[in-house]
Amino acid sequence: MSNSSISITTPVAELSAVEIPSRSGVRNSLNATFREDRFFLMLAVFIGLFSGFAVVCFRLAIDWTRIALLGPVPQAHSLRVLIVPAAVSLLLAVVVIHVFPLVRGSGVNQTKSALYIFNGYIPFRTAIGKFLTAALAIGAGHSLGPEDPSLQIGAALASGLGRRMELSREKLRLLAPVGAAAGLAAAFNAPISAVLFVIEEVIGRWSAGILGSVVLAAISSVVVVRWFLGSQPLFRIPAITLARPWELIAYALLGFVGGIASVIFAKGIAYFRPRLRALPRWTQYFQPAVAGLIIGLIGYLGAPQVMGAGYEYMDQAMHDQFKWQMLAGLAGLKILATTLSFTTGTPGGMFAPTLFIGAMLGGAVGGIERHFWGAHLTGSTGTYALVGMGVLFAGFLRAPMTSVFMVLEVSGEYSIIVPVIIANTVAYVISRGLQPVPIFDLLSRQDGLDLPSMEEQREENILRIEDAMQLPAGPVLDSRETVQGAYERTQALAADTFLVRLSPTGWKFLTKDVLKKAVGEGKLEMNLGSILTTPPLPILHPDLPLDVALRYVNQAPIVPVVSRADFGKLEGVISSEGVLSKYRQ
Amino acid sequence: MPWLFTTARLKSVLRRPPVVVSILSLAAVLAFIAVSHLVHRYREEEKALARHLYGDGQAQLNSGKPDNAIAYFRAALTYDPADFSYQLSLARALRDTGRIPEAKSYLLALWESSPDDASVNLALGRLAVREGDTAEAIHYYHNATYGVWNSDPETHRRDARFELIDFLLRQNALPQAQAELITLAASLPRNPELEIQVAQRFAKLGDYEHALSEYQTILQHDKENVEAEEGAGECAFELHRYATAEKYLSAAARADHLDPQLEQELRIARLIIESDPFIHWISGSERDRRIQEAFKAAGERLNRCGKLPEAGANGTSEANPGSTGTVDVNSLRQSWNALNAKPSRRSASTESEKTEQMMNLVFEVEQQTQKDCELTDIDQALLLIGEDRDGADR
Repeated sequence: MSNSSISITTPVAELSAVEIPSRSGVRNSLNATFREDRFFLMLAVFIGLFSGFAVVCFRLAIDWTRIALLGPVPQAHSLRVLIVPAAVSLLLAVVVIHVFPLVRGSGVNQTKSALYIFNGYIPFRTAIGKFLTAALAIGAGHSLGPEDPSLQIGAALASGLGRRMELSREKLRLLAPVGAAAGLAAAFNAPISAVLFVIEEVIGRWSAGILGSVVLAAISSVVVVRWFLGSQPLFRIPAITLARPWELIAYALLGFVGGIASVIFAKGIAYFRPRLRALPRWTQYFQPAVAGLIIGLIGYLGAPQVMGAGYEYMDQAMHDQFKWQMLAGLAGLKILATTLSFTTGTPGGMFAPTLFIGAMLGGAVGGIERHFWGAHLTGSTGTYALVGMGVLFAGFLRAPMTSVFMVLEVSGEYSIIVPVIIANTVAYVISRGLQPVPIFDLLSRQDGLDLPSMEEQREENILRIEDAMQLPAGPVLDSRETVQGAYERTQALAADTFLVRLSPTGWKFLTKDVLKKAVGEGKLEMNLGSILTTPPLPILHPDLPLDVALRYVNQAPIVPVVSRADFGKLEGVISSEGVLSKYRQ
Repeated sequence: MPWLFTTARLKSVLRRPPVVVSILSLAAVLAFIAVSHLVHRYREEEKALARHLYGDGQAQLNSGKPDNAIAYFRAALTYDPADFSYQLSLARALRDTGRIPEAKSYLLALWESSPDDASVNLALGRLAVREGDTAEAIHYYHNATYGVWNSDPETHRRDARFELIDFLLRQNALPQAQAELITLAASLPRNPELEIQVAQRFAKLGDYEHALSEYQTILQHDKENVEAEEGAGECAFELHRYATAEKYLSAAARADHLDPQLEQELRIARLIIESDPFIHWISGSERDRRIQEAFKAAGERLNRCGKLPEAGANGTSEANPGSTGTVDVNSLRQSWNALNAKPSRRSASTESEKTEQMMNLVFEVEQQTQKDCELTDIDQALLLIGEDRDGADR
């Protein structure tokens, strides 16, 4: 019996020793696989998937609400169109004030607040509230869009998941933008634009630590949305041709008009929002309803296109369905309707209305230009409408990079890139000139929050080491020269500290006192290197931010600034006095 | 082992990354199933709604309101954007209401997704016809001809080719139209109606030989086909085969009342048969008689058209400023009188020479006077005889 057991167990034991890792080995292997960084990436994929599911449901909810409330084809002169937005808004106001007070507005600033103020905390309730109220508001015809709420829903899901995982505060803080990118990517079906927007507008900097997670989350969510809702681009536009380079002037003109329109739109919101919020509390129950009534009236009188997100009408504008007069009218009415919806605190986003205004304005400007110079312009109305979208995105939301990629992604048409870049740049410059504070910063300031301004950060003049470095006060010594030689070279100099270039590489510093002491001890023929006991100095490069120098200048009286190509080539030295005096300037 | 089930231990287990990933994976699978179910149900509802809207659109289209139909088709596409027939109907309605760029955009998108679909190619072909783009029309109509039709492919292919041929005829692209017609004729089933359509198009592009052949094929199987008889008669007339023309037109006239043009052709054909002195099988005396008759007819024509003004200094007729009056009636009359007075000779060669001169004068008189003086049937017959002789000379 015992023999047989031995004969059986021995091979197993051998096998376990050779092929099957021990329990501790498995644990180590798992631990290595699920290191926090890798686990964070995995979590980003799950955030993307769940955000994608949530956004699919959100879009279905909006569509279903719209069909149920306004009918499959909202038509002018229909009482339903007149009454529904106001009636639903009364209910919405009560729900927002009493049940979900954090769901007002678009959601972009709330996500920024979570990142910069609340350590990544966004209540899960906010996601539910935003889902329900925004679906109801957009479905009932408020001139708002689903993208910014999707962004906030994604961020809230990510935040909730991170809290469940009990992640570190640092990681938890980073999860909100990851979820935001996933939500926005799913809403636009445009992963690159979503990633760029989150980096441009929410995080404000390119950070390798988070970029991977943001990209993974955005792609995962887009995969989910495309699985369920199809992969075709948001808009189908006619073929684009640009026969003559000087046609770009026409697009630049569109950029100019778009820049002005962006400023009007932003100033309207900036003017009305604080004034409406300053009204007595009881009026807040009726403000969305009044906005809804006016929007319903606009729809009733003949422009139901301004109700809701309006993507189908953007598509029509791109296909030359409206005359330029109609397009211009719709752009103006949409500015009015969106200003009303947004400033009364109705939950919903501004991305879709911005694109709508841009498309209509672009189509109108294109129509006028073609009316006067039709024989010389090859761009269709669709081309101008598409460029117009980017123009408003750049001018109003002030996200220039996102605006370019967004146009490319929503149309799948890359040949339009040059007109888009030119028009967007013009609009951005004009908007910045006339409205120095970007809309999201303006809103956060109106809310009493001092969130970092991404535009200011982008344009901040960063101090670099080259701005504070100086030439060394004395000669650069070599570690191979004798103590006597070094003493003779430095004795007469006023400087007290000298840099010593080590062989083959590295730097140290030497004071006159140490040198004098070595001479006194009779070490005249010894190499300088042998009397230097201090550790090697850190090395800095001229292009590094000055902040980096602050970490090192207290370790030594002077720190060498060397060339990146040759660490032995001294570009200058930096000291704590030099850094501080530069900051004082 | 109760310690296994303590809350603290459970929490500790649940917090382990592999467990977390497993739970999240399971949750994702469950969410996927739930959302799939939801989307499926919603899509079904949307499709039903889209079908309803599409039906409304078709009703609007049938009642002659294409603009309203477009609104319904658009709405249908909002709820079922991938439906091919909705897209095609919208594109067609857009095309029919003159919204060419948008229609083209839709159709090109459809074409990119289904380049073999014959309906899309046909719609694009029709769009190219509207734009007058011959090369593109030929390209898309060919695709439609050889593409995939869901039902009755033969008829659809034939109709597409007929459309293309009609377009090419309108564009005066005759060689292309002829090539298409020859291909079409070769693939036609035995159907007189279709064969007549083909023959008519051959005749329209001036290929009377093929047209006559088509008509004759029809008449081989359907001897009583008046339309084919008329067509064959007309084609034979155009080919200057007057006996054949007379045969078919007479048969048609017996069966049905001919239209005035065909009636005239029949009369002229008969006159040519009766008057042509160059027919090889008539006797010498009959030939002389015909020459004398033709010569006499030319003299009468000179008398009838004798009031024609002579050519002015600038070569323009004074009576009819619109015509180039280069007719020298006096000279023709002098020639006619001279030949008329010339006595007949016994010598065969001199007699043949005189005959030749008489007929040459007859043809010259008819040609010179045809522009400015109304043509009778005999004049037209003589002109055609003259043309045939010129052709023979050539």
